[in-house]
Amino acid sequence: MDTRPHESVEKSGDRMTQSRFAVLQLSGCAGCEVSLLNASEWIDQYRLMYMPLVVSAYDVPEVDILLISGGVRTDQDLHHLRTAVKKAHKVVAVGTCAISGGVANLGDRDEVRDLFLSQSSRRHVPRLLPRCQPVDAVVEIDSYLPGCPPTPELFMAVLFNPEGFQGSRSVCQECGRLKDKSIRPSRLIGFQQGNVQEGLCLINQGYLCVGSSTRGGCRAPCTRAGHPCVGCRGPSDFFIEKESTEWLGSIQRVFDTMTDIPRGEIAQALLSPQFALFLFQFSDYAGGDRPARRKDKVI
Amino acid sequence: MPTLIFPISRIEGHAQVVIDTNGSEVISAHFQATEFRGFDYFVQGIPAEQMPVIVPRICGVCSTAHHVCSVKALESLYGITPPPLARRIRELLLLGQLIQNQATSLFIFTMPDRLGTDSIFETESGNTNKHPAIAIQSLQVRKAGSDLITLAGGQFIHPVKAVIGGVTGGIPSQAAEIMRAKLQAILPVACELFDHYWQTSLEMVERIGSWGDDQPSHYIASTGSSSMNFDSDSICMLDENGKQVDCFSPAQFQEKLTFIESSFSYSDETTYNGEIMRANSLARINLSKEMGTPLADEYLQEFQKTFGKPAHAIMLFDLSRGIEMVYALERAIEILSTSLEGEETSVPFIPRDGEGFGLVEAPRGPLIHHYTVENGVIKKVKFIIPTVHNMQAISRALKVAAKRYVAEGHIDLELEKAVGRVVRAFDPCIACATH
Repeated sequence: MDTRPHESVEKSGDRMTQSRFAVLQLSGCAGCEVSLLNASEWIDQYRLMYMPLVVSAYDVPEVDILLISGGVRTDQDLHHLRTAVKKAHKVVAVGTCAISGGVANLGDRDEVRDLFLSQSSRRHVPRLLPRCQPVDAVVEIDSYLPGCPPTPELFMAVLFNPEGFQGSRSVCQECGRLKDKSIRPSRLIGFQQGNVQEGLCLINQGYLCVGSSTRGGCRAPCTRAGHPCVGCRGPSDFFIEKESTEWLGSIQRVFDTMTDIPRGEIAQALLSPQFALFLFQFSDYAGGDRPARRKDKVI
Repeated sequence: MPTLIFPISRIEGHAQVVIDTNGSEVISAHFQATEFRGFDYFVQGIPAEQMPVIVPRICGVCSTAHHVCSVKALESLYGITPPPLARRIRELLLLGQLIQNQATSLFIFTMPDRLGTDSIFETESGNTNKHPAIAIQSLQVRKAGSDLITLAGGQFIHPVKAVIGGVTGGIPSQAAEIMRAKLQAILPVACELFDHYWQTSLEMVERIGSWGDDQPSHYIASTGSSSMNFDSDSICMLDENGKQVDCFSPAQFQEKLTFIESSFSYSDETTYNGEIMRANSLARINLSKEMGTPLADEYLQEFQKTFGKPAHAIMLFDLSRGIEMVYALERAIEILSTSLEGEETSVPFIPRDGEGFGLVEAPRGPLIHHYTVENGVIKKVKFIIPTVHNMQAISRALKVAAKRYVAEGHIDLELEKAVGRVVRAFDPCIACATH
């Protein structure tokens, strides 16, 4: 079959044999979908069958790959998820919300529950579930594409060549900032404070960056722009099947080696919500009531 | 009493339209937001300084507006003013988002209505993709906006580069020049697509016989009455005749706007003195004397000559978006032609408790963040989302459309397409509206 992009657009016969994919959007922010739209190269080689953001279609048809974004927040999410996976050969959980419930997981608080209960009488509106769940709490997932959101390059990898994707082990290795042993900060700077120096490792500058243990493959856009890594890609392969304490311990060791910042300061900062937003997913990877996610399933 | 329910696609987020009928009578038409996450609640207790990185997650489409608005809310609380270079870079961020958003709304969300397809990408029902050039070019235009966000904001969906007091750094001249050339190259592509869009809109209106609900309405926008400014400071109200009747700071929103909790939607609704109002592109176009850039001003003149000022028909929101897309490209090219490095990019600040109000003009209208901070952590927040200002206007326009297609013993199948066109004209964002 001729797979050259522009040829295939013109020949409708070829189009019919092309791979088909769909995107199921559960409760999330649509950032993953926007990222997918930035990776426009799939247009010539894949047929997008369902994605409510950009396609009007009622149901997910038979597809080769189903990407699922967002967490399971409402009874409608639950229903859509259960019906959609039956139509797909391969199911991929995409983004922090689908993999760990994401930012919506922070909503598992009493105030939010009260609100949900008080709103259960609303007409025609889907009922909210007691908590926001990751998709693999409900259905079986073939692979995971973490990131908030995953970059366009990662989307292309998951569609075209998941095994062949070349990413570094950690964000640190993709960052390009240089470490300087002679600079040892003794205090942590807040995220929003200070002037970021070009080219110098953010830890040397006193920022709480967790890129040393976070999964690579994103090419480190945040640290390159001068913002510390907050760990949205989840644990690197080295930590992925282990307890979260191992992972937190390793961050502590990095700061012990590179800085004179008191240990308590790091430990406290790691528990702050900006990090908790992403770091809680580390415990989700290998803990709770589900089996650990296998690293060979994570892109 | 039959109830018709239409789920709405090609918008941001989960929503549906519910129309109650009785014979030939349309009893009610409602636009319902069907998702909810609870950001108002789970940001309580978060250290205030961390808000600028958390709030972009309210919405991956409008993330840049939330990012900048959050920083501005905290700057108002700490009593600091960012240096001029930081404001130029933030304006670039907001323009990048405007390019991306307006291109998406025009070409991906609403162009299929003009072409009579389900999507500009191929789907089950469309045997062959008749519009590959449109699909590829549309994605190129919106990608130019994303690239600008990446340059000015670091991360491409949830930006990180705006910080309290400024931005994390300038833009090197070489990178600015590459981006300027890229936008310069995409500008004629965007104009050509928009011309095609304008033409197919005219053809569609000829076919269906209406530009939609054209009842005069109040308008709310913060871009100013001379040329456009999206990094805005105050909010203007226009009355039905286009006269500016009020202008207020973000801190006054509670006294000026009335918030109504809805019993059929996870989104609130707002009114101004009991009046239905409209936000988004048409509100800004009705407010502005000029765009302030050459090509966009040509389009604006053509628009005003054809449709008058103020213009009220709802599908003129769509055309207004095209004018703004052209403006955003031209304005970004202007800013990128100036030096964006070598100056101070941020000022220091001392955190303190109290109340802060941030305002930006997001693609969908004025966005306000209101934070109450105690002991350095968020005690209470209120996100004033522009889509919420449009909720009553959307329902009114839906009722107008429904009346057109519902008759005794007969419902015209065009109704489903009509409700889609109505909702998409307002380009609502449900993830934001419900947060």
